[in-house]
Amino acid sequence: MKRLWLMIPAVFFLVSVVQAETIKLPVASPFTGPLASFGEGVKNGALLKADEINAGGGIKGQKIEIVLGDELCDPKEAAAVATRFANDPEVAIVVGHLCSSATLAALPIYREAGLPAITPASTNPEIGKSSPYYFRNVYKDDFQGDFLARYAKKVHGFKKIAIFYEVNDYAMGLKDAFVKQAKKQGLRVIGAESYMAETADFKAQLTKFKMMRPDAIFIPGYAPQATLLISQARSLGMKCAFFGADGLDDAIMLQNPDADGLFVTTPFLVDRGGAMVKEFVERYRKKFGIEPNWFAANTYDAVGLAAAAITQAGLDREKVRAYLASISSLEKAYQGITGATYFDENGDCLKAAFVKVVKDGKWVSAEEQLQ
Amino acid sequence: MLTAILEHSSLFLQQLVNGITLGSIYALIAVGYTMVYGVIQLINFAHGEIYMLGAFISFSLLTGLFGVGLPFWLAVVVAVLACALAGVLLDIVAYRPLRRAPRLAALITAIGMSIFLQNLALLIWGAQIKSFPRNLIPAFFNEPALQFGDVLVSWLQVIILLTAICLMLALQLIVHYTRIGRAMRAIAQDKTAASLMGVNVDRVVSYTFALGSGLGGAAGILVALYYNAVYPTMGYFAGIKAFAAAVLGGIGSIPGAILGGGILGLAEVFGGGYISSSYSDGIAYAVMILVILVKPQGLFGRQLRDKA
Amino acid sequence: MHLDDRLFSEKKFYLPLLAVVLILPWLPMGIAGPYVLRVATLTLVYMVLALGLNVVPGFTGLLDLGYVGFFGLGAYTAGLLTVQYQWSIWLVLPLAAINGALWGVLRGAPTLRLSDDYFAIVTFGFSELIILIIRNELWLTKGPMGVPGIARPDLFGRVLDQPWQTFYLILFLLLLVLWVVVRIRSSRLGRAWFAVREDEIAAECVGVNIANYKIISFALSAAIGALAGAFYARWFRFIHPDMFKFWESILILCLIVFGGMGSITGALLGALILIPLTEVLRIVLPTELSNARYLLFGLLIVCMMRWRPAGLLPVQKE
Repeated sequence: MKRLWLMIPAVFFLVSVVQAETIKLPVASPFTGPLASFGEGVKNGALLKADEINAGGGIKGQKIEIVLGDELCDPKEAAAVATRFANDPEVAIVVGHLCSSATLAALPIYREAGLPAITPASTNPEIGKSSPYYFRNVYKDDFQGDFLARYAKKVHGFKKIAIFYEVNDYAMGLKDAFVKQAKKQGLRVIGAESYMAETADFKAQLTKFKMMRPDAIFIPGYAPQATLLISQARSLGMKCAFFGADGLDDAIMLQNPDADGLFVTTPFLVDRGGAMVKEFVERYRKKFGIEPNWFAANTYDAVGLAAAAITQAGLDREKVRAYLASISSLEKAYQGITGATYFDENGDCLKAAFVKVVKDGKWVSAEEQLQ
Repeated sequence: MLTAILEHSSLFLQQLVNGITLGSIYALIAVGYTMVYGVIQLINFAHGEIYMLGAFISFSLLTGLFGVGLPFWLAVVVAVLACALAGVLLDIVAYRPLRRAPRLAALITAIGMSIFLQNLALLIWGAQIKSFPRNLIPAFFNEPALQFGDVLVSWLQVIILLTAICLMLALQLIVHYTRIGRAMRAIAQDKTAASLMGVNVDRVVSYTFALGSGLGGAAGILVALYYNAVYPTMGYFAGIKAFAAAVLGGIGSIPGAILGGGILGLAEVFGGGYISSSYSDGIAYAVMILVILVKPQGLFGRQLRDKA
Repeated sequence: MHLDDRLFSEKKFYLPLLAVVLILPWLPMGIAGPYVLRVATLTLVYMVLALGLNVVPGFTGLLDLGYVGFFGLGAYTAGLLTVQYQWSIWLVLPLAAINGALWGVLRGAPTLRLSDDYFAIVTFGFSELIILIIRNELWLTKGPMGVPGIARPDLFGRVLDQPWQTFYLILFLLLLVLWVVVRIRSSRLGRAWFAVREDEIAAECVGVNIANYKIISFALSAAIGALAGAFYARWFRFIHPDMFKFWESILILCLIVFGGMGSITGALLGALILIPLTEVLRIVLPTELSNARYLLFGLLIVCMMRWRPAGLLPVQKE
């Protein structure tokens, strides 16, 4: 029995290896698990930007090393990963997390460690307000929902909309903002149904919608469920339009022939950007053999922002935070492939949303954009 | 007024069609639970995972993930046989050594196997939802077989219902008119007495697992086609619901499992369609708890043994 | 003599445990310090949970497949009360425990007559319903938005803002729970529980009021789970329905199956080995494998049942 007690400290004793030649830049996101395809964009975007910075000589001669923290979009795992980063004195800034629930779990840990973080993807409105150390280079849920209601009314002239939303913070934030703006626009929301992330059967609720004859169904949620939902609606003989927000912006939509005509908001459009964007897309294709999604684009810019902050402020966490907070107007904005990024007093940013459509198995920019 | 009534009745009819389809799938899975429970009094928690394997194996065979791409019907048959084999192996590896152990030990093992298989599938196939490529499945599946007004019945729905009915009939024939079926019934009544009369218990249990798992695998394939989705956790939820159906019908009773599956499928569709979709999963849990508390023998079942 | 008797009948058991946990926070002084402390704190939370879950199957022979329901209930009780009224943790902890006990009794009372596997199924369904309600009743729990901004634990009006302070708080709670469980084990109540587990009918014949004793064990087990949940909420400062999935019930079950069902030392040891192990595996295994590390847990349960069904430290039958 005695020996057993002696073993316990050994189990606890985990030491990470210290390396000083490189600058560690942690990127936290789900890289495995159900949302791994989103995480892949995050990983690729980060690696691409780091490669480019390193090829250009790194930051003051030091190379950037991307440290991946896989948290499966699980709050518990996210907190463990965050603690590891927060207590590594070599880390001056974190890029992550992806899911809002993971970001909210990591947030108090970064705040107490005085560690600034940029999320390229979490859109929950609470995040910016809750910590001076959290920044984001993505818009908030309420902005997208509001935008989509205006777009649906003005561009498509829809009159009756049904909503099918996932029970999670992201989707419900979207739905609420959409409903609010829809009222102002005189757009009728004739029904709202919900589903869980594990749901695969949408037929009962879709049947109900079918009888209400909506012009379109709005799907605040993520692509894996949305693609099933659309196919099932078509198999029930429904001919209405479908649209959603950036959660639906995923390559799996393109494999589904039923999704033709689906339109989504996205922070990033390939053919609307300048030379910088075209160059990014080419390099991305060459390196990874696939098309970049908006997660890749936003992470690419977030890593760029983080590198700029380290270049200006060194590896001092407070100085890095102060530098990011000082990017507070359009003149001082960071110019990236997703446009100009600058932060308001909460660390949130204002960005344009674009609309793109699935057409013959490809994403194309919608003919009419709305600003 | 008239259009309103028409709309409501066509909504009702369409939900009925959806509910019957869902119900026949639950019934197919529930039969697996009920047969195993009837013979060795074990809640085979891993049965849902066999159903998931059915979907994944047929998907892999069809898309040539294992190196060979089989035509659709052949892939289905091979996948069902593979599931039957997996069920038998599951029994031999995990449950057979525990026949004499307390029932709790076997139940915990079943949970362990369920976790193991689910994560194994995660490791092999990844967590993403997979869809059957449309060019590899018969084209008529998603075309309407019947249509009156807004009510639409697809060929796939017809096939699911017919498959369920045929398999159930075949099962009833096996259980009632073959030697092995008689041996199953004998063991269900009294294992010791049956083995004293010369019934090879292990062999009969293997047959039971093979039949139940084969049906479960078939259900997995049908569901994967119906929802166009294959993913590692699909067995967990379907398993729970089918188990609730088995409990509702009276665990151990095959007609009970069929009826239970039908009722649960309809309850879920109408509950989700008319009341609240957020709680449609909760219906299965609530039904399960209520039946166990109020009428533990279910609709058709025998009175349960109090303690093993 | 079983280890439990040797350790808990004499006071000396506490000495090695106390020594180990007092040294722990100071061991890794390097950069890994707070991370190791976090893992250590998490381990202690699961030790409390394992002790709590152990009460039902260990003492009465019934299997609880829905323990996460009480864990979540406690976390939400504490989290919501803290966010709403800013109460001290010393007020919130007992309230959460009482709320847990209440639901433990409500769940337990109708299930008294059930055989063991049906009991397991009811506990499972019950906890899934609790989590479904937490997820869907937005007006109360904010559902999938989660509850952020829960205050840290406090002591005499001072906020415990250092990781080691929180560690000692959960250590204190663990010792408290351990004390209660050990005391009950050697009391009349404990003997009655063992009697029920070994032979319900015989126990009834010699005048044990089975219903009462079973309900007390349900209440105690649920209260401990809720207590752990309440601490968890204040330590984590953010709660979300995803943190209380069915998998957690299985994980806690795994701990006591590994250690030996019914054995107090076994429950502690199970958590002490397996919870740090999940973290070690996360670091050691490559990403694709570490995601499927629960595969090992499934395998572990199966192998334990096959070759050591009574766990590492089996409770011997007298």
